[in-house]
Amino acid sequence: MGVVMIRVRDLTLRLPSGGRTLTVLDGVTLDVEDAEVCAVTGPSGSGKSTLLGLIAGLDRPSAGTIEVAGVALTPLGEDALARFRRDTLGFVFQAFHLIPTLTAAENVAVPLELAGARDARPRARALLDEVGLADRAHHYPVQLSGGEQQRVAIARALALRPRVLLADEPTGNLDSATGGGVIELLLGLNRERGSTLLLVTHDEALAGKADRVLRLRDGRLLDANA
Amino acid sequence: MSAGFALRMAWRQTRGAWRHFVGFGACVALGVAALVAVGTLAVNLDGALTREARTLLGGDVELRAARPLGAEAAAALERLRRAGARTTALRELVGMARSPAGRTLPVEVKAVDPAYPLYGRVQTRPAAPLAGLLAPRDGADGAVVEPGLLDRLGLRPGDRLALGAATLAITGVLVREPDRPASLVSLGPRVLVSAETLARTGLVQPGSRVRYRALVRLPEGRAAHAAGEDLARAVADPGVRVTTFDAAQPGLRRFFGQLATYLGLVGLASLLVGGIGIAASVTTLVRRQLATVAVLKVLGADGRTVLATYLLQTQALGVLASLAGAALGAAAQPLLVRALAPLAPVALEARLDAWTLVRGVALGALTALLCALLPLLAVRAVPPSLVLRRDVEAAGWRARRPWLAALPVAAGLAALAVWQAGSPGLGAIFVGAALAALGLLALCARGLAALGRRAPRVRGVALRQGLAGLARPGGHAARVVTALGLAVMLLVAVAQLEAALARQVALEQNRSAPSFFFVDVQGDQLPALRRLLAAASGGTAPAATPVVRARLAALDGVPVTRELIARRRAEGLDRMWYLTREYVLTWAAEPPASNVVTRGRWWTAAEAAARPRVSLEEAAARGLGVGVGGTLTFDVQGVPVTAEVASLRRVDWQSLSPNFFAILSPGALDGAPATWVVTARVPAAAEAGLQDRVSAAFPNVTALPVREVLERAAALLAQVAFAVRWMAAFSVATGLVVVAGALAATRWERLYESVILRTLGATRGTVARAFAVEYACLGAAAGAGGTLLAAALAGIVLRLVLELPWTLEPATLALGVVAPTGVALAVGFLATFRLLGEKPLPVLRRE
Repeated sequence: MGVVMIRVRDLTLRLPSGGRTLTVLDGVTLDVEDAEVCAVTGPSGSGKSTLLGLIAGLDRPSAGTIEVAGVALTPLGEDALARFRRDTLGFVFQAFHLIPTLTAAENVAVPLELAGARDARPRARALLDEVGLADRAHHYPVQLSGGEQQRVAIARALALRPRVLLADEPTGNLDSATGGGVIELLLGLNRERGSTLLLVTHDEALAGKADRVLRLRDGRLLDANA
Repeated sequence: MSAGFALRMAWRQTRGAWRHFVGFGACVALGVAALVAVGTLAVNLDGALTREARTLLGGDVELRAARPLGAEAAAALERLRRAGARTTALRELVGMARSPAGRTLPVEVKAVDPAYPLYGRVQTRPAAPLAGLLAPRDGADGAVVEPGLLDRLGLRPGDRLALGAATLAITGVLVREPDRPASLVSLGPRVLVSAETLARTGLVQPGSRVRYRALVRLPEGRAAHAAGEDLARAVADPGVRVTTFDAAQPGLRRFFGQLATYLGLVGLASLLVGGIGIAASVTTLVRRQLATVAVLKVLGADGRTVLATYLLQTQALGVLASLAGAALGAAAQPLLVRALAPLAPVALEARLDAWTLVRGVALGALTALLCALLPLLAVRAVPPSLVLRRDVEAAGWRARRPWLAALPVAAGLAALAVWQAGSPGLGAIFVGAALAALGLLALCARGLAALGRRAPRVRGVALRQGLAGLARPGGHAARVVTALGLAVMLLVAVAQLEAALARQVALEQNRSAPSFFFVDVQGDQLPALRRLLAAASGGTAPAATPVVRARLAALDGVPVTRELIARRRAEGLDRMWYLTREYVLTWAAEPPASNVVTRGRWWTAAEAAARPRVSLEEAAARGLGVGVGGTLTFDVQGVPVTAEVASLRRVDWQSLSPNFFAILSPGALDGAPATWVVTARVPAAAEAGLQDRVSAAFPNVTALPVREVLERAAALLAQVAFAVRWMAAFSVATGLVVVAGALAATRWERLYESVILRTLGATRGTVARAFAVEYACLGAAAGAGGTLLAAALAGIVLRLVLELPWTLEPATLALGVVAPTGVALAVGFLATFRLLGEKPLPVLRRE
């Protein structure tokens, strides 16, 4: 048994919805080991993305605890959480979420700059080179195809060599051929760097490439040890 | 927080979205331009008045009196001359000029001696020494006249002109008179003559209204203030006013000072409108940047770094826009100078003032900071989890309003207003008025939104959709109604004031106002003049009032001396004017028709016969500090007349009948040298002819045509109104920018809505009508609110400042509602007409 990188215990999130309380996550408990590639699947509304968001400290659970890379998230304030994400996490989104006013290179440089890296620009260039977009460095997001935007997002997520990489439906907005390319890139780079990858998807083929698959339904984990 | 990162991000964000900031920049720039334009003007006016102070006064020190300067003054002036000073004596009065063809015109006569002028130069056409031009030639006395006189009487240089008993030859045209007295409304064109010529006119008679002036030019190095004090000590009579050049023209300075202040407030109003635009623009910016803010937070930026990024961005743009505004204000300066040149007694320069520019930029940058701060604080609270939602902007996240932060921001804005207004009182009035105006307009906007929410009950797609659009999220209704409403308020208030003043002038003409005041009528001329006037005005008897000129010699038995005046001033009383002015007295058995006795009571015949009594005008009594039972002693041509104050009166100064500060009981002024003021009313067409006939028969009598004086006053007011409207134009321009910005901010919702409607089968015409309904409602609400506020503002100014009755001006008010409706329709369509041409499918797919 390796080192546990992500430790989630009895995670519950309830949200008010139309005057009632909606339980989005219901007592989820899981461990993800260091350098493990773990997929979370489930139908729409099963709470996959919410689980990922809570692990990233983007929201607070109603109950339960989360520990990532040895850091307990629940006691941290907003700004401490932001620094934690900067230092520990990389994030890839379904909708890419590149900043539209920044070029590809600048988008990749943002986390480096936030960390105070002096060589942010050359490192951003090198990362773009790694994802095969060296010649697109000065293009704005609107000038890039969907696949290219997701590659930039992957470069950005890996910029600070995070110990944990979180990906939320990374191929959801791409056609299957492009999506396949993006996944190969993501998995390849992750393997090179040896980081932990938690991947949310409802694409069974994609999930099949993971070391382990977790299935969520109605906010509950079906078989955590499958 | 990472400062370097915030700076880099601020630059990148601006580089990519500069279009969004055009409106923001325009709002800041227009406000600053207005303030810089008016501030520079004020500095230039003040500078010109200070620089030209000696020239405007005509010397370093001036002695001025309503009667000939006595032996004391002559001796004091002689001492100064012996010490190296130069002096000159002037007399000024109003007389009637008569052309050989019999046409007449009241003129302002100034008799000068060869030493005149002591400062500056009299410019004439032909350019020749003044003494030569004023010398007698070919049996007539030389005279230099203003071009207006030639125009009005149909004369040319070289022609003859009668003035009183003298015949003048026009030897030159007066181009510029250095010490043209700066009364803003003159009674007629200037005629310059020599002292000998004035004697020959016979216009200076006992009781005639003459201003005697002596001017002193001190030798180099001699302080005017000390010389002035010496003169004041030497001339005991407080009726002789001693003025040094640096204290001269207080009325003129006050007038222009106030004008600059009021124009400054109008400029401040445009910055206020701009502030609404700034806050609106930043609110829209934050809404559009929600995704970016959330992504930055996911990537590890803390709240302060994100806030710093946007603050740096808006602040840098605020400073840039302020600089652009300052440049615009400086560039507009020559135009404003040209607009005010006809009013100004001195040549104005369009010189730039560093402090005004700095202050304008500081005001603009600080306003931008404060107005941007409130909406920007929301970025700290944007949750990073927004990135996980499918459509971030539609996620409906709304920041809680940081009301606690609103207080210091509001206090900061109020402090800026006080800074610009120049006084806490005026600043407080401005802030209070602005809050009231914004409150009412916000209420209008809320009412409109409420109307929008009830819209589904209305029949007709376009009407229902248009009304529903008023309740659109994003608060565009509030922006449009407040910004446009404030601009409407300014414009309509100015128009209302103008209309009320014009009506006032017209009203006095229409009612029983006389056509003429004939002044300086001697007692022996009265019967003949009465006959002439009675015949001319169709039989109604003209009114004749006796007047006696006097000065106040004692108050409750205490002599009015310079010491008394100094003592009173030390006690904090102002209005020394009531102590030193020349009083025009009359006597009457009954109180005048337009006067109301407010204290004491009018005298009976028996009381009047017992001893002299006086009825005082209220404000004069307050200024003098006397009440009923006190005594006033008047010096009537050297004879003291002591009268007991029997009553106080309220005088309607707007009534154009002869009004008096002091009316004495019959018999009190017996034996005093009286002249008569005769008023007469004739049809307008007969005015010129009557004036000519009276002047021909009675050369010493001056006819003051009421219509002309009122018209001149109206022209002055029109010029002031023009300047104010000129300034208000900045607010209007800013308001339009805000309106366009607010409508552009709702572009996407509008586009989506129009596409859905068209998918459901609505024609583009229907969609356009729906938009039109919405824009028209917004404009009408802004118009109605602004007009209501304008009516209140005009009412307050008329009642409290101008002391005139408020009258309903239906046409102005109606225009105040209709015009903004049209403007909102026009701006709305310019901002959104392109949406109508968009194809539905790509829009729906994007959604």
